[in-house]
Amino acid sequence: MRYVLRRFAQTIFVVVLVTLLTSVALRFLPGGTDVLVALKTGPGATPEQAQQVVKDLGLDKPWYTQYFSWMSNFLSGDWGTTFQSNQPITTAVKRALPISAYLMVYGQLLALSTAIPVAVWSAYRQNSRFDRVSTTSAFAMLSLPNYIVAPVLMYFLSVQRKWIPFPSIYTSLFDDPVAHFKAFVLPSVTIAIPLFAGYMRLLRADMIGTLQSEFITTARAKGVSTANILFRHALRPSMFSLVTSAAVNVGALMGGVVIVEQFFILNGMGRLTVESIFRREYPTVQYAVVVLALIYVGVNLIADMAYAWIDPRVRARRALS
Amino acid sequence: MGHTTTQSRSQSGRRRSGRALAGLVLSIGLIGAACGGDDDKKTDTTEGTDTTVADTAAATTVPPPTTAAEEVPVPGGKVVFALEADTSNPWRPSEILCAASCHQVLRNIFDSLTLPNSDGSWSPYLAESVVPNDDFTEWTITARADVTFHDGTDFDGAAIVENLTRAQTGLVTNFALKPIETVTIDPSNPMAAIVSLSSSWAAFPFVLTGQVGYMASPTWLLASDADPLLKPMPVGSGPFVYENYSAGEVFSMTRNDSYWNAPYPYLDAIEFRPIADALSRRDALKNGTVDVIHTTNGATIAEFRESTDVGMTEVANQGETAYTLLHVSQEGSPLNDVRVRCALAYATDEQALIDVIGAGVQQIAFGPFSPTQVGYLENTGFPEAQDMAKAQELIAEYKAENPGPISLALAATTDETNLTVAQFQQEWFQEAGIDTVTIDQIDQGAYVVTAALGNFQVFQFRNHGGFDLDQQYHFWHSSASGAVGSLALNFGRISDATLDALLDENRASDDPVRKKAIAEEVNQLFGTECYNTWGSYTIWAIAHKTSVHGPTGFELADGSTAVFGAGISGVVYPMTFWVEQ
Repeated sequence: MRYVLRRFAQTIFVVVLVTLLTSVALRFLPGGTDVLVALKTGPGATPEQAQQVVKDLGLDKPWYTQYFSWMSNFLSGDWGTTFQSNQPITTAVKRALPISAYLMVYGQLLALSTAIPVAVWSAYRQNSRFDRVSTTSAFAMLSLPNYIVAPVLMYFLSVQRKWIPFPSIYTSLFDDPVAHFKAFVLPSVTIAIPLFAGYMRLLRADMIGTLQSEFITTARAKGVSTANILFRHALRPSMFSLVTSAAVNVGALMGGVVIVEQFFILNGMGRLTVESIFRREYPTVQYAVVVLALIYVGVNLIADMAYAWIDPRVRARRALS
Repeated sequence: MGHTTTQSRSQSGRRRSGRALAGLVLSIGLIGAACGGDDDKKTDTTEGTDTTVADTAAATTVPPPTTAAEEVPVPGGKVVFALEADTSNPWRPSEILCAASCHQVLRNIFDSLTLPNSDGSWSPYLAESVVPNDDFTEWTITARADVTFHDGTDFDGAAIVENLTRAQTGLVTNFALKPIETVTIDPSNPMAAIVSLSSSWAAFPFVLTGQVGYMASPTWLLASDADPLLKPMPVGSGPFVYENYSAGEVFSMTRNDSYWNAPYPYLDAIEFRPIADALSRRDALKNGTVDVIHTTNGATIAEFRESTDVGMTEVANQGETAYTLLHVSQEGSPLNDVRVRCALAYATDEQALIDVIGAGVQQIAFGPFSPTQVGYLENTGFPEAQDMAKAQELIAEYKAENPGPISLALAATTDETNLTVAQFQQEWFQEAGIDTVTIDQIDQGAYVVTAALGNFQVFQFRNHGGFDLDQQYHFWHSSASGAVGSLALNFGRISDATLDALLDENRASDDPVRKKAIAEEVNQLFGTECYNTWGSYTIWAIAHKTSVHGPTGFELADGSTAVFGAGISGVVYPMTFWVEQ
């Protein structure tokens, strides 16, 4: 319990730090408030209009007042409107968040669902032909960046064959499941390829170590089937690194799949953040960064909790400490 | 329909390929007239693999005759149209910073008071008539009868007054309407508005063909004053009705069943999707996810010219020029010196850019006016070929008088093609003797604002399409300039008394011969002063699935034909599109 509380305290500290830095970020923009005023009002703003913009953004107040006011708006969901299109920022984030979430979930599911059996079998059949092919393939996949995989997939499957639509126009899963999956299939595969390679190699290495443990030998001696040994006894204690890696990737994928989203023109959080930066939509960037940071911190907290579920020894160690 | 190409060609033989510069045209309602064209111009009409060439005296883009004559439009269906940029602005005519993609969307929601026609002049469109007094200091605009906005508000003299008054004072549009003193309802006719000017303005109706001529519902304008969230939900009288707008994603609209200009529109719905990258836009069309794209990308145009799977209409008349905009009055900037500016021109191998990057599509430019515009000259005095020795000599001369390193910042959009162009320029400028050249990439949505602020030195751009020199007034006149950090449409902050005098004289004149002479003088002035580094004359292509028919022009009430792509280059009328069912 103490461990959980300590982790919560650390999380809150990180959240405060992130929100504090982002809330005052507007003060330090190159070009200062002139740029903000110009973006908000368009050409020819009067001094009164300029002053109003500064006031609306809270830039005329001390930084701590600005922070509390910003935090209050953040918590109440009153995030204001975009500079240029006058659309609610919450609408933009609400539209982008599910897209990134789907992309992250599908990418992870695809990577994990293929990496786990391949890694388990590779570890079990260490140095076999299957192991050599899978580890070599994983090396190759790790060296394939998204910006190569995405256009290649797109060219062959969308432009040449027209099997998959391009760009990936987001459709709700509940409105049209087929269109939904068609929109996500190529981006998900693009994301899953390097993830698969990383997960597969991590799990394989841990599994090899686990399979040499005494309790595995004991299980074998007791006549437990191979499938049971691999998936019931060996897999769970081998998943530490995999869980850590997957958790870190959740945060990274939520906002870090910019290249994939750009290639497939999926308007997720990564694209929203990057395009908002280019458009100087700074308040949108602020809120997007905070949302991503919260997700990142939250997922890592959950992953920490999950360690205890995966391995009772962790619970015991934490209890002793 | 197959492959349809409508374009003007120059007999000079200097037709070259072009680079795709996703710069911006800021067309504050300016589609001009005059021109008259060149006898040497021809229009190619290609149907399938057969090509016919027809003379057109006016040398303006007209609807492909075979399409209009042989095919019977079928109502219904939907088209997805991919654009090069999202606009991300409040969609109110007096506030929006509008480039080509923006006009392509807005023209479906809003009708303009006048339109450019195939005679090289203007015709009333939403206005019943636009009539001047004897000395062009007062214009009476009469509203077309029985027209209502999408929300049921009547279109009348009061609506014209409301819109023009907002345009007159609008943050974006006021630059274009400075001569206007008052706009009032005609006391003798509630359907008419009287515009009083401070000076003669013979070309005034041209300004009404574009942004300042767009008529929005006064009810919506007032409502969106009170609730800014209504600003992205435009209400006009146009052929399509706003349905949904998600910034950066989609702008969708549905048929206006009670559109006054029947039988248009043919489509039930149209959806605009921004795809900034030119090659992705091409791939989206090839994939079939979108039905229509517009593009200036040379490689795409070259590819689709050979394709039988894609229909394409090319629009080159009265078009824009792609160029490198220079800020010529920044304090301490080397660009204030004509030698440095001309050195950049001598250092640039524009033809290489056209050939290497643009697949040989566009024609090299030596001035702001493209071949079918008034004022076009083959020789303007602008450097016509790369001469690195001359460039180095000019820079050395400047450095001898102004010791110390010279640095320049070069801005481009985030498009990959534009970045490549910038990298070429960076290399050439440094070879000419500029010590440091940095490249800044700016998103297209923020590009115009950056230019308007004057926060740049060297800036890739695209602009200056139109019929009449007056359409460039606020881009070049010193009265439209401003300090760095303040906003102005004279982006390069040109302040030239000779140029001002020529622009003023042209504004007041309705003599086509004199206007032509003035425009040519302006062209030569730009050539010798090197205020900008000219690139190529833009060709816009509207590429579409073969099942989509269009775009075409359409007949106006005065019997002339509305032309597309003039002034606001590349902008067509989707109300003329129809799809095979």
